[in-house]
Amino acid sequence: MTPEGSLLAAEGLCKTYGATPALDGVEFSVHPGEVVAVMGPSGSGKSTLLHCLAGIVRPDAGTVRYGPHELTALSDARRSALRRTDFGFVFQFGQLVPELTGLENVALPLRLNGTRRKEAERQAREWLERLEVDGAAAQRPGEISGGQGQRIAVARALVTGPRVIFADEPTGALDSLNGERVLGLLTGAARDTNAAVVLVTHEARVAAYSDREIVVRDGTVKDILAGLR
Amino acid sequence: MSLLRPRATAAGGRTGGRDRPAPTVPGAPPTGRAAWARDLVMGIRFAAGSGREGWIRTALTATGVALGVAVLLLGASVPGVLDTLHGREKARENLGQAHPPRAADDTLRYASADTVFHGAPIRGRLVRPDGAHPPVPPGVDRLPGPGRMLVSPALKKLLDSPRAGLLRQRLDYRVAGTIGDAGLLGPGELTYVAQPVTLAAADGYRIDHFGKDWNPPPMRAPTVLLVIMTCVALLTPVMVFIGTSVRFGNERRERRLAAIRLVGADVRTTRRIAAGEVLFGSLLGLVAGGALFLAGRQLAPVVTLWDVNVFPSDVAPGPLAAALIAVLVPAAAVLVTLFAQRGVTVEPLGVVRHRPPVRRRLWWRVALPAVGALVLVPLSRERPWTDTPLHTLGLATGAMLLLLGVTTLLPWLVQAVVGRLHRGPVSWQLAIRRLQLSSGSATRAVSGITVAVAGAIAIHMLMTGMQASYTRAYAESGKEPRISLWANSKDWPQTQRALTALRATPGVTAARGTVDALVGPLPHPPGRPEDAARTTVTVGSCAELRSLARLDSCHDGSVFVTTTRREGAVAPGATLDLNPPRDAYEAVRPHPWTVPRTARTVPLLAHRPSPDRVVYDLLVTPSALDVGRLNGPTTELKVVFDRGTPDAVEHIRNTAARIDPTMNEVSAVDNPHDAQYASVLDGLFAGAVVTLLLIGSGLIISTVEQLHERRRLLSTLDAHGTRRATLGWSVLWQTAVPVVLGLGLALGTGLALGALVLTMIDSAVTVNWPVVAAITGIGGAVILFVTALSLPPLWRMMRPDGLRTE
Repeated sequence: MTPEGSLLAAEGLCKTYGATPALDGVEFSVHPGEVVAVMGPSGSGKSTLLHCLAGIVRPDAGTVRYGPHELTALSDARRSALRRTDFGFVFQFGQLVPELTGLENVALPLRLNGTRRKEAERQAREWLERLEVDGAAAQRPGEISGGQGQRIAVARALVTGPRVIFADEPTGALDSLNGERVLGLLTGAARDTNAAVVLVTHEARVAAYSDREIVVRDGTVKDILAGLR
Repeated sequence: MSLLRPRATAAGGRTGGRDRPAPTVPGAPPTGRAAWARDLVMGIRFAAGSGREGWIRTALTATGVALGVAVLLLGASVPGVLDTLHGREKARENLGQAHPPRAADDTLRYASADTVFHGAPIRGRLVRPDGAHPPVPPGVDRLPGPGRMLVSPALKKLLDSPRAGLLRQRLDYRVAGTIGDAGLLGPGELTYVAQPVTLAAADGYRIDHFGKDWNPPPMRAPTVLLVIMTCVALLTPVMVFIGTSVRFGNERRERRLAAIRLVGADVRTTRRIAAGEVLFGSLLGLVAGGALFLAGRQLAPVVTLWDVNVFPSDVAPGPLAAALIAVLVPAAAVLVTLFAQRGVTVEPLGVVRHRPPVRRRLWWRVALPAVGALVLVPLSRERPWTDTPLHTLGLATGAMLLLLGVTTLLPWLVQAVVGRLHRGPVSWQLAIRRLQLSSGSATRAVSGITVAVAGAIAIHMLMTGMQASYTRAYAESGKEPRISLWANSKDWPQTQRALTALRATPGVTAARGTVDALVGPLPHPPGRPEDAARTTVTVGSCAELRSLARLDSCHDGSVFVTTTRREGAVAPGATLDLNPPRDAYEAVRPHPWTVPRTARTVPLLAHRPSPDRVVYDLLVTPSALDVGRLNGPTTELKVVFDRGTPDAVEHIRNTAARIDPTMNEVSAVDNPHDAQYASVLDGLFAGAVVTLLLIGSGLIISTVEQLHERRRLLSTLDAHGTRRATLGWSVLWQTAVPVVLGLGLALGTGLALGALVLTMIDSAVTVNWPVVAAITGIGGAVILFVTALSLPPLWRMMRPDGLRTE
């Protein structure tokens, strides 16, 4: 049963890779505006949980509900559409398209959603300015620093006004100063827009930015460490 | 101040804040033309802006498409070239005008004076205007005056060369100008229009215009087959190359597509983007192919094939064909890309899901060549072969299916064979295991070689077969160095003078001559009047007649009836018409003549069969018959010469031209097809080498890509102390095994197709084994070429850097 008021909830999620179980009956929920840190050691299944929650990977068993809809039952096209409109992603290495400039990378989800080029780039430019990375608008990912790249990735995650932001080790490749800055921007923006954030990390200092922490170990959620901060 | 802007209401952002409505699942992504256009443009943007790797892929795709477009444009130009040639020939010719006009101010006498110089045919036309306003052929402003000639630029060049002394003697006219392009079949054509000082009324035809109403015969089935097989043999490797080139840099592209999937692109969008990337290369290739075709056709003047040499501007495809090529080739490249992606699914995490390995089934793979053989075998039993459209279609379809069939058979063959290979040294094991695991990319590239080699072998066999008939005829008749000449005859003394002149020519060892004509019975039998003239009368001195029949005694005035068993053969006492009509339009008065009752029956001497053998019915000495009463008598001369005398043939031709410039020659002294055959073989070799190099490049791409994918494994093997030579040998085996299997299949298919087609055109099945060995040898050389070029990247990827992780 879905926890009341939750935006995204998973029940009994199971996923195996070959003979190795990655998730084994995981329960999870996140509310609008809530930042949840998913912690755990390497190989515990936290990234797999994030991928299942985002509809990137289909679980072998269990359900993921997004509002009134069951995500696992949606077609690939519908899930792709959700990623364009309702979900945002920030990964450890940015996952920016290397051939596109910073501005074009941020405008990409809007363009894919049918927004005209000028309008998409206008909105993208605003986000780049707000994330103080407008200087890299005309540069390609290979020409900018890791911190700039992550801020562009955050801008790209936020440009469509998502309801849920999935962040998988967003500061894993950054020094502590840049990491702090990216996390501050990401969680601040999410709270400001009432967007939920699912933040996968193995660092306690990163988890400190969250409202709630869960630990995944051997494919199951073992403990809830904190309530709302 | 908030870091964040207020929510936009544009498509990309909805109203946000704390009072957001419950989530709804958005509809399907935008589809239709707008989505296609957006994604294709994005793909083009990626192709143009993805650095060195992207440009290499774009360049490779463009190269493949350019070659495909150029080959197709060339193939599509063949019907147009033939049409243009026929059009040019029709426009400038009118030998034997139907309903000959009476002499008038706008008529002329027109005769053929073709000749050959050192094996090169020269088209000659003699003119003599009847009045002040004669018609002129295309390319000529004004007819040459008496004793002058207009020549083609190529003939002018030949006449100006030091080696053309004898030809200058033969064409003893003053050059008054050159014939324009409109009057030539091609830039290399040797032709002239001359006005001899005397052109007898009996020579040639009277005409009042140029331009003959003549429908050229359709292309013969073997020629159609040759064009189609050439296109298939060239295009399949090109398509294979395109298929390989679009896979270049796949890893990086899949990473990019995965990143796009992550931000919400669906599978169809990524496919459209990938198609856009290829489309960019294809469009560049289309432009380059057009340029290559335009540049390549400038070489048309230097190519002479079956006496055909054309202007560059005549090598042009029809607009519909050109439009189809412009649309279909890039579309085919896009389809190849989409087809290549059928086995993978790009997921947002960059996960590429390969289809589970499928066991390759034989039954459907053998269907294509089997259907091809089923179409061809009944056709090969067709006796006699006729060029009906249905037969031509069957032949083309069968040959195409058989050739393309090797591309479906090869993957099965490779999988079946490598599946049975086990033991061997480490390098062999590495290669075989790799092929057992995935032989797709190697087989794909090799299938190009297979089709090219099979096609080249079949084309070569077809050409050898077509050539063999000429070669046999020339070999047979060329045993005796002899030239036959014939021309219109006026009287017997003229023939005697010709014989005297020929016997005095350097190198001539013997010369024989008679005057021949066709006569018919009187009264004419019922039926068409021209059918009446079926009896051959031959006028000659006793010495000449003795070279034809066994005569016990002969004197001037003797008449002999030969022992031919032809229907309607004459008998002593029979009345003949010496002036029978030669065609339905000729209205002539009968010239009755009675075969003397004293005429003796004599047997003809047994001659070996030869193309110019004539059956003589009636042998007459000059005093017994006035040649002037015969309708269209011809002087028939046979000249035997000494091969050892330099230029004996050209001296004989010069003498013949002095006797009568309109004299015709039938000889086997020089086979003009030999040089052309050699040039075609050279072309075939060049084509095979270029095609195989192209495929070799494709193989290098797929090999290097595969090495790149396994760079970590290679580094690990290196770290374990694996010798470079071992890995080098494994690359060699990995290339060699599919290539050797492919060449074996190509050999079988090529020989089978060649044998079937040759049987069909009633030609002996001959295989030029050295050529076959050379073609397959080139295929084998590709193995070494690929291996050698793959080694430097292999050494590079074996460095310990490959073990580094993020």
